[in-house]
Amino acid sequence: MKPLVVIIIAIVVLTALPAFAQNPKAAPAAAPKAPAAAKAWTGPKTPWGDPDIQGTWTSDDCIGTPLNRPAQFGDRLYYTEQELADREASLARQADNDKQEFVASNARVGTGPPGHWGERARRPCRQTSLIVDPPNGRTPDVLPEARTRRVPEGAGNDNPMPASWEDFSYYIRCITRGVTGSIFPVIYGNGQQIVQGPGFVTILQEMVHEARVIPLKGGAHTSSNIRSYMGDARGHWEGNTLVVETTNFLGNRTGLGGNGGGMPTSDALKLTERYTRVSPNELKYEVTIDDPKTYVSPFKVGFPLTQEPGYQNFEYACHEGNNAMFNSLSGARAQEKTAQEKK
Amino acid sequence: MRKTLAVLTTTAGLLLAAVPVWAHHAFAAEFDASKPVKFRATVVKMEWINPHAWIQLDVKGDDGKVTRWAVEAAAPNALLRRGWNKSSLLPGTEILVEGFQAKDGSNKANGSIITFTDGRKLFVGSSGDGEGPPKQ
Repeated sequence: MKPLVVIIIAIVVLTALPAFAQNPKAAPAAAPKAPAAAKAWTGPKTPWGDPDIQGTWTSDDCIGTPLNRPAQFGDRLYYTEQELADREASLARQADNDKQEFVASNARVGTGPPGHWGERARRPCRQTSLIVDPPNGRTPDVLPEARTRRVPEGAGNDNPMPASWEDFSYYIRCITRGVTGSIFPVIYGNGQQIVQGPGFVTILQEMVHEARVIPLKGGAHTSSNIRSYMGDARGHWEGNTLVVETTNFLGNRTGLGGNGGGMPTSDALKLTERYTRVSPNELKYEVTIDDPKTYVSPFKVGFPLTQEPGYQNFEYACHEGNNAMFNSLSGARAQEKTAQEKK
Repeated sequence: MRKTLAVLTTTAGLLLAAVPVWAHHAFAAEFDASKPVKFRATVVKMEWINPHAWIQLDVKGDDGKVTRWAVEAAAPNALLRRGWNKSSLLPGTEILVEGFQAKDGSNKANGSIITFTDGRKLFVGSSGDGEGPPKQ
């Protein structure tokens, strides 16, 4: 099974389990009500008059929320008050478990590291899925031609018996997670540091360390001959909302899921992101995904980004310590040798 | 078989029950679920490198011979958020490691249960953003 598929499945499995908490000292949030309306609060402005959305934000609260909505929730995007209370209780139990000073005598040795090494949501995510539209919260059907599209040679396909560094995904090689993969909540490193200057917004994304420089000048995208993993972004303000349209992707490199996993998107992908500060410590994030060579229709993903006391981006010099590359290649060679000897 | 490097014989099926969700990469690409290891070791150094920290260890056999092992730990950024820093695991500290050996048979393992010799967790998730390391 592909490594990222394992991770994605694991995340989906986790959503069936109690959610998590990170900071037991932080006061748990009150049971969430309907999301705040974007117009209910007028945020600060920069000295040059743009809405100020600067700061370091994280999607941690929706760690474990699946991209696609589990069938039992139907068209229901938000948990009920009772469901939220249950999830909040689960967060508290997880925090207590993390704080236990001694390993339980009956602890089993699993293939994963201890759970308390991971990052946790601080409060329960209100949503049953990251996909907010269509109403069923599910990815639209994939076009037949997209199902057979192959990741190009050397672009990484997570071959279970890798023969080369080129057989690993761009994520595992510490190259990129793509635009959506760099902001959708994952197991750790969800920091998004936003810095503004006149005419530009930069988003520094912790894991794999992307710096998206978004010009606000508007106008047409660069030539379609110029393509990249992260595409060509153009931003503008609509009221207090930063709207970023990104095109000119290379295509067939990363998928839409967390860490760039899932079915690779095409070179026709257009992303339209909307960042709206709805309170001092919350950004409403939405992205409309339009990939007419992959999906039968556009769809929308959304979730909150929050600012948390003391939270900051840390350096993610991923490539320099990526021992997994060497170990995985030598592991595959050892596996081949064993198979040969058995013949 | 050395007392300090006892290869366990628990069935792999039971051990695979926990899904590896915290890793940047896949467990199965690097480590062998049929090669569980358990040993007592002395910390040589902790490498705070991305995407995973590694703990370099010396393991002393019954014959007194010292063997160097490396054990993969969590993402350093996550550990930092849990309040840990470069002083949290000093050289010379004795720890117990349970995990699984590298597929290529080298002296590397993932860290599944890592404790101080009295059974205390090595990295307790008791600290939040920007706070100091937990008392050890």
